[in-house]
Amino acid sequence: MQLFIGGACAGKGDIVTARFPDACWLKAGTLGVVGKGDALAGWCERLASAPVVVITGWADWLARALADEGDDDRLRQRLVDILQVMLEAEKETGGEVVLILPEMGRGIVPLASEERRWRDLAGWFNQDAACRADAVWYVRHGLAQCLKRPC
Amino acid sequence: MIAFVSGGARSGKSAVAEALARVWRSPEPSGLVYLATARVSDEEMATRIARHRRDRGEDWLTLEAPRAIAAALDHVPAGSSVLLDCLTLWASQVMFEAGLDEEAGRRMLRQLIDTARRREITLVVVSNDLNEDLPPRDEMVWRYLAFLQRLHRDLAHQADRVVEVVAGCSIDWKGAACEKNSADGKPSDDGKGDAS
Repeated sequence: MQLFIGGACAGKGDIVTARFPDACWLKAGTLGVVGKGDALAGWCERLASAPVVVITGWADWLARALADEGDDDRLRQRLVDILQVMLEAEKETGGEVVLILPEMGRGIVPLASEERRWRDLAGWFNQDAACRADAVWYVRHGLAQCLKRPC
Repeated sequence: MIAFVSGGARSGKSAVAEALARVWRSPEPSGLVYLATARVSDEEMATRIARHRRDRGEDWLTLEAPRAIAAALDHVPAGSSVLLDCLTLWASQVMFEAGLDEEAGRRMLRQLIDTARRREITLVVVSNDLNEDLPPRDEMVWRYLAFLQRLHRDLAHQADRVVEVVAGCSIDWKGAACEKNSADGKPSDDGKGDAS
C-alpha cells in the first residue's frame, strides 16, 4: 500500500497518474457505507483484475461516514478494518493499493462541531493508513517527498 | 535562476526569500529590486508595508505592480535580483479585481518567468500555503484556492529551487539538497526521494 497525502489541488492526482499510468481508479464512494460487511466486495474484484488500484475522493466519503456513525472511536475502528481488508486483498492478489489522501488539518479549529469531527477523522485516517502503508509520499505544489520508504 | 518560496502566515518567508535574492544578486549597486504586489489600501496595509520595507534595509529598489508583473521587469536592469512579494495577493487581484480567468493568470505568470530568464534576472517569488485546511465550502473561495494552487504548481515546475519555510527555517523541495526529486514531481523508482 502506498499513500499520497497533500492539501487541496496540491497535484496528488497528476503525480499518481505519472507514477501508475495503467492503474484502475476508484472513488472512495464506490466502497459503499462504512461498516457494511459487503462494502468492499466489488472493490476486491477490481484489485484482482488490475495490478494497481488508486482510490481517491476520501474527503467526501469521510464526511458522509460521519453522518452515518456518531461514535468517533467506532468509526475510526471501522476505517482501520477497511484498511486491513485492503492489505489482505493485496496479499491475496499480488496487486497494490494506492490511496490519495487529503491533508486538511493545518487551519484554525473549525467552529462547527461536524467540521471538527471531519478534520479529526481525516487526520486519524491518515495516521492509521500511514503506519500500515509500505510507502508514504507528501505532495506539495506538484512535487513529492518520501516520508516513509518501502522496507 | 528562479526560486519559489512559500509557507504559512508569519513563517519567515520574506526573510528567507530576501536572503536568496541577496546571495544571487549582481554586483551592481541597484542589483536588489523588491516587486510589491500590495496596494496601500488602508492603514493596516500601510503599516505592514512599512514594516517589511524597514526589515529589508536601504539597499532595495521598490517597484509596485499589483497586476502587470511581467511589464514591471522592463524597469529592472538585466542581471538584477528581483523579489516578488507576494503571489497570493497578486492572484486575488487578477481574479477578483481584473476578473481574469485561470488561463489568463497562468499566461501572465509564464510571461514573468520567460522575461526573467531572457533578461537574466534572478527571480524569487513568495507565496502563502493556504491549501491544507478543510476544503472551502464557498464556491468563490474554492475557485480562488484552485487558481492559486494551479499557479503554485506551474511555478514549482518552472523554478530551479523550491523552498518551504517553517518558523524561519527552510525545507528544500527542489534544487539545493533535493536533486533526487525529479522536476515533474514524479517519485524516483527506487523510492529514495529526499525526506529531509
